Amino acid sequence: MNLGRLFKPKSIAVYGASATDSRKLGNTLLKNAASGAGDVLAIHPEADTIDGVRAIAKLDQPVDLALISVPGGRVEAAVTDAAAAGTGAAIVLSSGFGETGPEGGAKQDRLVAIARAAGMRLVGPNCMGVVSHLGGDCWLNGSYFWRIPGVSGGLSFVSQSGAFGGMFFGHMRASGLGLSRFLSVGNSADVGITDALEWLGDDPQTTAIGMFVEGFGDGRRFVDVARRVTAKKPVIVLKAGKMAAGAKAAASHTGSMVGSHAAVRAGLRRAGVIEASDTESFFDAMDAAASGLRRKIRNIAIVTISGGPSVLAADACERAGLTLPSLSVGTIERLRGLTPSFAALGNPIDLTPQCPADNFIPAIEAIYADPAIEGVVAINCGLDLKPFGTGVARAVAATGKPTAAFVLDAPGVDAEMAKAGVMRFASPERAVSVLAGGLK
Amino acid sequence: MKTLSEWESKRRLEGLPYPRELLAKSRAEAKAFVVTLGKPVVAKASGVAHKTEGGLVRFNIDAQMIDAVWEELAAAGDGAVLLAEQLQAELELIVGGYRDPGFGPLVTVGIGGIAAEIFSDVAAILAPPEAGEVAAALGQLTGYKLLQGIRGGPPVDVAALAQIVNGVANLLVKDTAVMEIDCNPVLVCQGKPVVVDALIVLSDGDV
Repeated sequence: MNLGRLFKPKSIAVYGASATDSRKLGNTLLKNAASGAGDVLAIHPEADTIDGVRAIAKLDQPVDLALISVPGGRVEAAVTDAAAAGTGAAIVLSSGFGETGPEGGAKQDRLVAIARAAGMRLVGPNCMGVVSHLGGDCWLNGSYFWRIPGVSGGLSFVSQSGAFGGMFFGHMRASGLGLSRFLSVGNSADVGITDALEWLGDDPQTTAIGMFVEGFGDGRRFVDVARRVTAKKPVIVLKAGKMAAGAKAAASHTGSMVGSHAAVRAGLRRAGVIEASDTESFFDAMDAAASGLRRKIRNIAIVTISGGPSVLAADACERAGLTLPSLSVGTIERLRGLTPSFAALGNPIDLTPQCPADNFIPAIEAIYADPAIEGVVAINCGLDLKPFGTGVARAVAATGKPTAAFVLDAPGVDAEMAKAGVMRFASPERAVSVLAGGLK
Repeated sequence: MKTLSEWESKRRLEGLPYPRELLAKSRAEAKAFVVTLGKPVVAKASGVAHKTEGGLVRFNIDAQMIDAVWEELAAAGDGAVLLAEQLQAELELIVGGYRDPGFGPLVTVGIGGIAAEIFSDVAAILAPPEAGEVAAALGQLTGYKLLQGIRGGPPVDVAALAQIVNGVANLLVKDTAVMEIDCNPVLVCQGKPVVVDALIVLSDGDV
């Protein structure tokens, strides 16, 4: 499934911007599209320019991507126009199709037929569009979202809900995580979540994939595709509507005991997909993927100078099924020489606030280098000695071991970790649950 | 939807571990079976769904008691009476199969009995299960520890249980008219699972 022209278009046509009222959604879409790289054209029956973009009445050249945001009754004409010009992919953002009932469904089927006859891919209808990082500072914003995160990175996200897309962008902004691709598939008339997953699985820029799913369609095909993708990169699914249709009349005991979600869970388990139970655990798992978690890890070191919060973290580890192994004798000897005599060198490892500042770096590096340790929770409440952060940053760079931190009132430490891409969370327990995210 | 009788269901689910049992057509046949078995049996009406709810299952029936239960059980069902060896079980499980519109055939395995109806402690696996998937699904059950041996008793023979699950999966995959399968209960006796009752639901097209 080649969706390259959808995610990396060089030319774009926008249908539906108003020549007279720039507050229309179509004008937001045009502005967003024109803010990025590539040639952008507006398609409008009369205007020559709209909001500074050249406008023509009919598309007279092939473009990679058409963005269609016209009233429902004019969508078919726009799709026909785009298809006739040799467009690679069209996104219909307009609503009023399959989601409204059989009549809308018939209109939607016609759009698909027109697109398929011309070899054009169709996204939507009834969706929020596409966002994609094109390299450097170049972005494609082919969506209604006027605020997209400007940080590029490896996370990609496919959503059957436009509104959850907004929640995703909100989380990306708040956490500072980097985005690769975003696609809202809406009614999935042609391009569905499985098609998007397949393409993102092969996309070298995408390192982890999140999906908000209401229905899988052909579940077995999803499992086959997802299984190939999860061999390369983590896939995290939040499935909405777990209870729906669970109460179907069943003749057998089995039919009445097993809810509709059991099949989804069975499919995701076989595919190696991480299933998030709710919004919070979905974002935890996305954060975990961004923190470098690529497989289940069990053996955690809690590195701290703060006693109480690290005990809370240890409790959370036990609840989550993570273990806190002892460090090797060699590592403990090395730490003895770097920390005060009263430092606690079990696990949690309390280096103590009295540890000479410059010793934090080699001490933390030694802990990360210990083969017994697969991941680290770093905790620092109020001891703003920069080397604590530098030590974590350097050790992460050297070992790649997944790390989640809780940092409070230590802006210098926080900045050092942020520079190295180490994620910080609002509580010690959240930091632990992120590292445990891959275990679910 | 059409349901097959327990006896027919068990014939379609070939090769599963069943108790020693007989579909008796006459009292004399029934008595001879009990005498040969040498211990009391369970007597069940034949060709009736929801036998327990209907009061059509009788326990601890010896040869003398056949006459006392025969008439009622035979009349409630198809005229025959199903007799089965009565088992001493340490655990009750449930194995099943069904079709999902999106994910196709699935098999289920879980903790049976009355508590299980409340807790719905059942895991599903895409059919046919792949190597290791049955064991992994068992590990997901809330009551997994029950399978590891109760009060020093033997653990459930997971390989034997997987064979039952695979038997259900095979029928579901092979015969597209089969919509739902229940093996309920599957009693575990000294670690060995035995399918005590079975029910197959067919789509309307199948005869």
